[in-house]
Amino acid sequence: MAQLLVNGLALGAAYALVALGFVLIVNATGAVNFAQGDLVVAGGFLAVAAAPLVPVPALVLVPAVAALMAVIGLVLSLVAYLPLSRRPPVAVFISTIAAGLILENGVLVLFGPAPRSAPPLIGGGVVELGGLVVARQSLAIIGVAVALIAGQQLLFHRTQLGRWLRATAQDAEIARACGIPVVSMVLLTFALAAAYAGTAGLLLANQFFITPSDGGDLMLRAYIAVTIGGWGSVGGAVAGAVLIAVFETVVAARLGHPVATGLLYGVVLVILAVRPRGLFGEAAGRRA
Amino acid sequence: MRGFGGSAPDDGRKAALPITVGIVVWLVSGLVATGTPYDLRVLTVAGIYALGALGYQLIFGFAGALSLAQGSFFGLGAYVTAILGTRYGLDGAATLPLAMLVPTALALVVSLPVMRLQSHYVALATLGIGQVVSLVAIHWISVTGGSNGLAGVPGFAVFGFAVPRGVPLCLVVWALVGLGVLGAAWLGRGRRGLVLAQMRADPVVARSLGIDTTRLGVGLFLASAAYGGAAGALMAHTQHVVSPAAVGFGMMVSFLTMCVVGGRGRIAGAVLGAVLLVHLPEWLRGFAEAERLLYGLGLLAAIVLAPEGLVGLIEAAGARLVGGRRAPGERARPAPAAPLPAAAAAPAPLVVERLSRRYGGIRAVDDLSLTIAPGSLVGVIGPNGSGKTTLVNLITGLAEPDAGVVRLGDRRLSGRAPERIARLGVARSFQAGGLPGGLTAAEAVVVALASGTPARVARACLDRVGAGEVAEVPCAALPAGARRRVELARLLARAPRVLLLDEPAAGLDADERARLAELLVAERRQGRSLVVVEHDVPFLAAIADRVICLDRGRLVFDGPAAAVAADPAVRAAYLGCAP
Amino acid sequence: MRQSVRSAGVRRFAAVCLASAVVLVSAAPAAAASAPVYVPVLVPLTGFLSLEGTSQRNGAMLALGLAPTEAGVHAEVFDTGTSPEGAVTALERVIGRDDVVAIAASMLGTQMLAMRPLAEAYRVPLITVSGTASVTGPDTRYVFRFFPADPVAKRAHARYVVETRGFRRPALITQTTAYGQSGRAHLLEAFRSLGAEVVADEVIDPTVRDMLPVLTRVAAGGPDVLVLHLHAGSTALVIRQARAIGRTWPIVAGSAMHQPSTAALLAPEELAGVCAETASSPISEDRPGMAAFVAEYRARFDSEPDAFALGQYDGMNMVLDAILGGARTAEAVRAALAEGTHRGLAMTYRSDGTGNMAHTVAIICYDGTSRRPRVVARAGDPVAPPDPTGPAEPVAPTEAAERTDVADAPPGR
Repeated sequence: MAQLLVNGLALGAAYALVALGFVLIVNATGAVNFAQGDLVVAGGFLAVAAAPLVPVPALVLVPAVAALMAVIGLVLSLVAYLPLSRRPPVAVFISTIAAGLILENGVLVLFGPAPRSAPPLIGGGVVELGGLVVARQSLAIIGVAVALIAGQQLLFHRTQLGRWLRATAQDAEIARACGIPVVSMVLLTFALAAAYAGTAGLLLANQFFITPSDGGDLMLRAYIAVTIGGWGSVGGAVAGAVLIAVFETVVAARLGHPVATGLLYGVVLVILAVRPRGLFGEAAGRRA
Repeated sequence: MRGFGGSAPDDGRKAALPITVGIVVWLVSGLVATGTPYDLRVLTVAGIYALGALGYQLIFGFAGALSLAQGSFFGLGAYVTAILGTRYGLDGAATLPLAMLVPTALALVVSLPVMRLQSHYVALATLGIGQVVSLVAIHWISVTGGSNGLAGVPGFAVFGFAVPRGVPLCLVVWALVGLGVLGAAWLGRGRRGLVLAQMRADPVVARSLGIDTTRLGVGLFLASAAYGGAAGALMAHTQHVVSPAAVGFGMMVSFLTMCVVGGRGRIAGAVLGAVLLVHLPEWLRGFAEAERLLYGLGLLAAIVLAPEGLVGLIEAAGARLVGGRRAPGERARPAPAAPLPAAAAAPAPLVVERLSRRYGGIRAVDDLSLTIAPGSLVGVIGPNGSGKTTLVNLITGLAEPDAGVVRLGDRRLSGRAPERIARLGVARSFQAGGLPGGLTAAEAVVVALASGTPARVARACLDRVGAGEVAEVPCAALPAGARRRVELARLLARAPRVLLLDEPAAGLDADERARLAELLVAERRQGRSLVVVEHDVPFLAAIADRVICLDRGRLVFDGPAAAVAADPAVRAAYLGCAP
Repeated sequence: MRQSVRSAGVRRFAAVCLASAVVLVSAAPAAAASAPVYVPVLVPLTGFLSLEGTSQRNGAMLALGLAPTEAGVHAEVFDTGTSPEGAVTALERVIGRDDVVAIAASMLGTQMLAMRPLAEAYRVPLITVSGTASVTGPDTRYVFRFFPADPVAKRAHARYVVETRGFRRPALITQTTAYGQSGRAHLLEAFRSLGAEVVADEVIDPTVRDMLPVLTRVAAGGPDVLVLHLHAGSTALVIRQARAIGRTWPIVAGSAMHQPSTAALLAPEELAGVCAETASSPISEDRPGMAAFVAEYRARFDSEPDAFALGQYDGMNMVLDAILGGARTAEAVRAALAEGTHRGLAMTYRSDGTGNMAHTVAIICYDGTSRRPRVVARAGDPVAPPDPTGPAEPVAPTEAAERTDVADAPPGR
């Protein structure tokens, strides 16, 4: 049981990084980034490609992949968001679907369809922790994810840049009126979201492998995590991600995967019936 | 649902549907005459998707709700057809109605809870339902054939008359698309079309105008399910195989993409989007593993080059053709004489009793009691955050009180839905507009009229507020002052007993303020009760019988307007109040 | 396996271009002695079955690309995606042509079921490596599968587990996909008839990442062997995680295990005690014909061939033999496939009357020191027509199934 919980936590930590990037973009642009799952795949395959160039343990890959993914995120925002920034959010919805297809199939053409494995961050194998057998990579995933989520909180709440980012997320019009470079902030948000998604890809691709078509499923999980947490709520997204992972581990071990999946959606529907604005409520209320 | 609103100014809109019908008729007739079986197959599939996308346009484009259930409705229709066709040998005469009925029944069961949710929660709830349907399709092997699906679905036949594939099937499918277009056009025409535009632009404002958005949304949701089921049935007959791919999320994304690429909220958009997006992969199929990559590039190009959809492009072209001939406002017709609607019921006092509402730790409204007699004009002042707007929200049903009650005469308002309160004769304005940009001023006023009222009354309402000359101007093109007047005209169109105005003078120049003051006084004389939230005390002093001042949710002053500036409690609370 | 993955990516890109070039090359000598014939290749190159679909494409294009110019074959590749609809429209696009004589068709069962009526109507043979049972049937005349069908393959799989290895308490993990559900039904049936008690029967979605829950459930049943019927990624995940938590159950996996890209995900040590069922394992054999096939495949596609590639290769070669033998119409090719015998690289193919051409199943095992498996047994389908020639193998196919040879028991455990 404890063993399953640790595994669930590791999986949830990786999902949380995906959901976090997702929610940052939602807040900054009001649009859903449908390519978020494919950014995870891109990060995973970047790690696969870079693996032969770095020594194992490959902790050094985290900043490298994050930086490259930030560039991809910038390109994504320039191509799929900026031309449509004055359009209804559904237009961005579709442009990110298109970008996701391009990413997924670009990876397919470059790397082929076979599942691949990225190198472990702090060595493979398992360690014994108080009677629990824990994969080193699970610890690495939890550690990196906690550090990155804490980093995001610090950036947003302790720095001037973070205040600008938050102001943009809360109300772009008012932020613009205050002289904040809103467009740059949105681009930066995309870069950050892509870096987080890519890092999640790097973390997942070692233990769980990665194939070009994995993105859609990851996007769905991030979407569900963000919505059950409460649209726009960062803490809610993280909690939602962990909830999904707990269903995939603890509940699945009890009831089997098909039942656990069905139950997850059942619980989602119940949450919506009881709390129509997500577990933690929406971050930004409606201004009448 | 805000955030999914967006609509284009509507010049040229009328041109788009005939143009699209022309394109499609030309395409279908041309291919039927000369096409290879392959061309016909692709065109048939495009027609099937067009039907499904039309249905999705009803809920997503017309009602503005981001439902993600269209794929499930489609798949359900396909499975009903496959199961009845393979197991019981039933033909289209029986299966097509059932394939439409079963998804509609599912929609009915889930609609009431789902349509109460807002935007992304509608999406998640419908997505969750879709995933459950998909799980059932995969795991209920004895009925659905599991992941392998059901093979050997018979071709389309009605009462034993088989429709062979190729030209006959293609024509039948496109005839059904034609019926679907007529049905959608009927659903979106006239007053209902205008009401839907308002609902998309701002559902909260729509409700305050007495529009039952839930009922409208549920109706369109059911219709979208019926369309989806019919499309799924035709797909089952055409492919002869139904597998869980039919209920998958990918199918849903296809419908969404078709509606947006074609043009959201446009009937022609659903059809054009389906025709384009079904043909696009066929042009690319030979590129092997690069096919989807190029499809993604094509899709990106389409949405960036035509963000309002293909129909948006046609409309823009149409507007350029038409627009050269008339400038905004030029089309104004002489006003036909029509009386303003009279209040539906006798005047009654508005009574607020010990009303409280907290948000988190903040008491927005705190134990507030108030009576507003018929025919009186009460000004409400108070610093920012003192609870003025919350008070208006509590009266109009946008917020539920934690304690206390609001009554109009002997009718209890608290606990009723906003549209019910509106229908009892309470009208309100919002600080931030809520006019549907795509409608003309006159159309925007028609939205507010009680059903059965002739549309020309709208013109009289506009004339009453001095906005007659902008009647034919799209709301999006109106300057701020004119916008305010149109909003006011909409409230008069409601023939309210109680009129609540949230900062009506904000952004108006001195002349406009004077005219507004005149108008409000005149309305009061009609026996309406008016509650005017304003920062401009002199403006209020000139027209109000009485002014109340709120501070942190409590009533700190209630008396004649002349005395308010001198009152120490007001001065203490309200530093921003200019004497 | 590879020195540099990045350059592998570039090479793969080149390989894709090359594959397209193959089309052009084979199109060029179209003006051969007789009118050229058209052989389209319709396989899933995108989506969740792209790994298997790419193998199919490569196998087919290798055979067609190596065809002598006098065959006058013009080939063309189309992606079907993974929907029945994509497969049918792709088929309708090519099947109406006068010069089409045979079509390499998707191994995805649902797509085959959707394509079959059209092929029967147009009377053009489809050549596939789908294992799904219902793809062929008593009334199919135009579907030919060059891969053992699930009833054959899964029976051999179960018999190896129960009869050869002597396990009595298998735990079953299968996938929720069409491949998985078809295999599961036949495995359960085979184990029941063999009198083995299935102590766990778990089904998982291909998106399941953490296998600890399913392994926990399996362990509760106290199995003596783990039987898998999963796609490549899930197979590797289950094996790796079972070994990581110290579970040393012998594992007998489905055909996805034999794919070299699956083994590439695991360390050789993790593969100790792992066996798998497959139609063939090209990289395991040193026979001259097979070695040449593997070398040519590697050179052209920069990847390792698997049984799907080989099955499709053999199938297309049978078609080519027919064409070279004078079959210039779809009907003539169909007749040659239905009546003839083809001595392929993997096995000898002959129709059982319903288009099932492959009747031999191989069992491979890994020894824990390399990712190259060894073929430890071959099982013939007892109901199949006798194999008159047999491929160049040391053991006659039908005998291998019956005996329990100590020397052929898997190494490791």
